[in-house]
Amino acid sequence: MSDVLLSGVSKDYGAVNVIPSIDLHIKAGELVVFVGPSGCGKSTLLRMIAGLEHVTRGDISIGGTRVNDVAASSRGIAMVFQSYALYPHMTVYQNMAFGLELARTPKAEIEKQVRDAARILQIEPLLDRRPKALSGGQRQRVAIGRAIVRNPKVFLFDEPLSNLDASLRGQTRVEIAHLHHSLGATMIYVTHDQTEAMTLADRIVVLNKGNIEQVGTPLELYGKPVNTFVAGFIANQPMNMLDVVAENRGGKIVLKLDGGAEIEAETPMAERARTLGIRPEDVVLVDSGKGPLTGTVSVVEHLGENALIHMTLTGGQEFIVKVDGAPDLAIGAEVSVALVPGRAHVFDANGHALREGDTQVA
Amino acid sequence: MSLRNDTKPWLSGGFGLVILASIPAVLFVGALIFFTVWVVTFSFTDLSLVGAKSVNWSWIGFDNYERLFTRRGFMESLWVTVSFTFFSAIVGQSLLGFLLASVMRALRGPLRGFIEVAIMLGWLLPDIVAAFLWSATTAENGLINSVVLGPLGFDSVNFLNEFAFPVVVVANVWKGTAWSYLLFSAALDSVPRDVIEAAQVDGATWWQRTRRVTLPMIKSHIGTNTLFITIWTFTYFPLVYAMTGGGPGRQTKVLSIFMYEQSFKIGKLGYGSAISVAMLLVVGLLAVFYVRLLKEPE
Repeated sequence: MSDVLLSGVSKDYGAVNVIPSIDLHIKAGELVVFVGPSGCGKSTLLRMIAGLEHVTRGDISIGGTRVNDVAASSRGIAMVFQSYALYPHMTVYQNMAFGLELARTPKAEIEKQVRDAARILQIEPLLDRRPKALSGGQRQRVAIGRAIVRNPKVFLFDEPLSNLDASLRGQTRVEIAHLHHSLGATMIYVTHDQTEAMTLADRIVVLNKGNIEQVGTPLELYGKPVNTFVAGFIANQPMNMLDVVAENRGGKIVLKLDGGAEIEAETPMAERARTLGIRPEDVVLVDSGKGPLTGTVSVVEHLGENALIHMTLTGGQEFIVKVDGAPDLAIGAEVSVALVPGRAHVFDANGHALREGDTQVA
Repeated sequence: MSLRNDTKPWLSGGFGLVILASIPAVLFVGALIFFTVWVVTFSFTDLSLVGAKSVNWSWIGFDNYERLFTRRGFMESLWVTVSFTFFSAIVGQSLLGFLLASVMRALRGPLRGFIEVAIMLGWLLPDIVAAFLWSATTAENGLINSVVLGPLGFDSVNFLNEFAFPVVVVANVWKGTAWSYLLFSAALDSVPRDVIEAAQVDGATWWQRTRRVTLPMIKSHIGTNTLFITIWTFTYFPLVYAMTGGGPGRQTKVLSIFMYEQSFKIGKLGYGSAISVAMLLVVGLLAVFYVRLLKEPE
């Protein structure tokens, strides 16, 4: 168990700079998730920590030791790849034993460690099989087993669930959480799936275009996104983003929307607001005219336990409302929404959140 | 059945049509079989190219085959051919092709293009032209003597005379490596980068990654390559014949040259046929051996 420290880490591919400069401290025993859209640099960052990618500038330390020039195999890391990357010509046992064998571990010791890992992952009956005789979920377990056997200081996961089907993904996610709890190891986990990030992480690092947008616990990111990017990325349903014009009426800030709707802001900082962000679950549906935003229903998506109501506001903006159960709403019906107090977000012209008492930490 | 398509393929029109359509295939396969049967048949005769026995040949049973072992020539040439195949193809072309393919993967840009073109050139040049180039390079007044050995103060060496076998082997490596290079390049592309990186994380050195991960993963490609180049090299004729004519002595007299001489210079077509059949058997056995080797263990 070790901490990982990135300071001023930067990566160029030829003349192209893909990661400008990243500072991040991952505490020992923590499970940190790097999340972001494709091409945001999350995998590159992980591969630099792994030692599979050269660090152009800056330093990476694992457990207090600078590892920039240390070979991947000597960094005390283990990596689980998206494609599992099992050796196809070796049995499951040989796959898991390979690293130990190369390190000239005594046979009895290898046997013990492989069996232990296989027991944890419930793959003991598969030890004599080759990867092609395994299902996707079993292969992923073997890949994780291979990582456990190395007894690493830091586990690195590169989108490990992307190749699994939905139900298996949920199941394996829970198992990784269990594993983190029982091993207590430091884990860095890369994904583009915000659900995985929310459910697994102690802390989430949101990356965009090679920069860290925000670092925080899942609930911090959900409750207090620092900008529109994080607000749009973290959550099952993206946040509704409405263009507004702020007006100071005798000390009260009023946000005006296209179509004439007005919402009174809760913070004086909203004077600089250009965008109003409201999560679909942070509003309630009311009779037409009883709330500040009014529009007509365009689509109702029933998900069983809840439903998504897509509506077009009087000003023409699209707006999504999430309601419990199965509402009985006809398409074209006119409804209004009321805001849950304290749950709206306001952002300035640059997309930065305006929040009282907030110093913007990235 | 209702699933049947309304527009029938024309081939299903009738039995006569099927027979008509299969004529080219039958002719082709027939020609292949005809020549083999011809060679096998006449290997049991004393047919000659010229003279009385070119018309009035007679059956002589296994005499020609007996001669393969009792008379001087065949066994010596078999040994030359096996060595030639082993050193120039299995070791030379395969190994060099694989090494080049692995090294060139890391290389990008114009240097890679240059080297690839250079490798291809040998392959693309006609055998006779290549033979002439190699003769000119290694002759007593050739390139190596006049540019390298001469200026260094050494006496000139007639390489083709003194080191005929090694020179022919090197020439064939130069000529044929492109095939192995291409095949191994494709094979290495089929090895996922992740797997190699996993081995890297597991602590495998370059050599360990190659021996324990890459090579086992491209085993079938290695087998295919070895099969092809063995067959080609075992029956290879023009380059060697144009460079040395099989000499000096019997040093480079591979079986194809020996067969050619017996059949068309001496004129013993029957004996030549027996040599051909023997070559067919040897190559066939090697092919079976490789195919067995290729089979995945269950």
